[in-house]
Amino acid sequence: MIRLYHIVKSYGDRDALRDVSLHVEKGELVYVTGPSGAGKSTMLKLLYGAERPTSGRMLIAGVDVAKMSRGQLPALRRNLGVVFQDFKLLPHRSVAENVGIALEVIGAAPDSIRRRVPAVLNIVGLKGREDDKAGVLSGGEKQRVAIARAIVTDPAILLADEPTGNLDGAMAVEVMEILQAINLRGTTVVVATHDVGLMDRFPYRRLRFVDGRILGGGAQAGGRR
Amino acid sequence: MKNSIFHAVRGLREHTYLAVVGTGVIAAALVLLGGYAMIVTNLGAVVSGWKRDVHVSAYFVPGQSPEAQEAARAELALRPEVELVELVTSAEAQVWMLERVPEVQPIVEELGEGALPASLEVSLRAAYTSPVALDAFAESLREGGHFAEIDYGREWVERSSAFLHTLTILGVALGGMLVLAALFLVGNTINLVVYARRDELEILRLVGASDGYILAPFLVEGALQGLVGGGAALSLLYGVHALVVARLLGGVPLALGEGGLAFLSPVAAVGLAALGVSIGVAAAGFSVRRFLSRLA
Repeated sequence: MIRLYHIVKSYGDRDALRDVSLHVEKGELVYVTGPSGAGKSTMLKLLYGAERPTSGRMLIAGVDVAKMSRGQLPALRRNLGVVFQDFKLLPHRSVAENVGIALEVIGAAPDSIRRRVPAVLNIVGLKGREDDKAGVLSGGEKQRVAIARAIVTDPAILLADEPTGNLDGAMAVEVMEILQAINLRGTTVVVATHDVGLMDRFPYRRLRFVDGRILGGGAQAGGRR
Repeated sequence: MKNSIFHAVRGLREHTYLAVVGTGVIAAALVLLGGYAMIVTNLGAVVSGWKRDVHVSAYFVPGQSPEAQEAARAELALRPEVELVELVTSAEAQVWMLERVPEVQPIVEELGEGALPASLEVSLRAAYTSPVALDAFAESLREGGHFAEIDYGREWVERSSAFLHTLTILGVALGGMLVLAALFLVGNTINLVVYARRDELEILRLVGASDGYILAPFLVEGALQGLVGGGAALSLLYGVHALVVARLLGGVPLALGEGGLAFLSPVAAVGLAALGVSIGVAAAGFSVRRFLSRLA
């Protein structure tokens, strides 16, 4: 599903990623881990097209993302779900509007949006909270809304950049359980995190980044542990 | 389109203050532009009136018979430059003079009949009132040998033509500058709107919205603001025009032609509103595109 070959990403003289090659199979859940500044977030940004690699090939579902023009990126992103550490929600909009925005962008009919949003909110445990403003929710609830927005279009891949970084332990476990459930439905999930305790509790293959490189190589498919 | 209108209206409601400021800036720019257009139009009408009054007096050489004078009049009436030509006989000229300047009666009586020469009073068509055309017309009259003197106030014509020319250049230059200033002001105001909504734009981009999808509601917003701003500007201009006509110019004789101080023509009024819409759309398009170009 995701194949990176000798990816290098440089910012001026500094290399954020150095010769990174990795494979993530369809339906797999993997962690991208490592200390701060190791290149976790940079790698996820490359995957959803927020950054371009300096060199190397990057295939997502067989398409070379590195060669995509700016105008082709929206099509890629409509097939990806992305969850951010800072949620990236519109605080003055309702939960339903925040989730529905991803469906509006792909041109879903209003009826379809009205049906689909409550169903997804049910999956993330926010049933009945459609009309609440996103700004008044707790951190854990906001992250659930962000996850709901990421999966409402049924993407093949879900990318989560430090999804539990702003949450306490119990909330982090709840969010991880949701991501696990989504993975069990067949979605490929990539989670960037440095929370070792969480990774130990939910053991999946780890791609450990240190100083822009993957320790031990990332090319082997791991599947679920 | 329906979706864009929905998002545009919601955007205006969510950012009412900025929407009002943006609309106000468009309205203010259009008031300046419309007011300036009215001034130029009215001044142009005054100067055009001066040009319409361009009049040539051709005085016959003494001794021309009435038949020859009439023949000269008939010949002149056929020329394309001439709108109207009247023969004023020596006797008629004398009556005219004595009616207006009775003090000269002793002199006229002393000189006897034929003291004032007969003349042809020529009104020219507007297209032939430039200094060059007037010179050419006067020269052609002199060549005929019928006339002793041709009088057409050349200096006055030159001055009014130069004034109209300057007015036209100033109109285009200042009008253009006002449009640019309006674009700049409205663009900066919409930059504030875009900045206030940067999170929304970023999120839309991240969930896969194309530039066109993001841009469309802003263009609709810009058009709505331009339309409302145009309507407000026209209303204000109309109110000021009515006030000025009713209160200030009522008793003041101004050489503004038969219609007095004119408001914008219907075409100019519609054009001003359309300009408001264009400014709103262009400023929104420019600001949002510039912001989107910085997003991945």
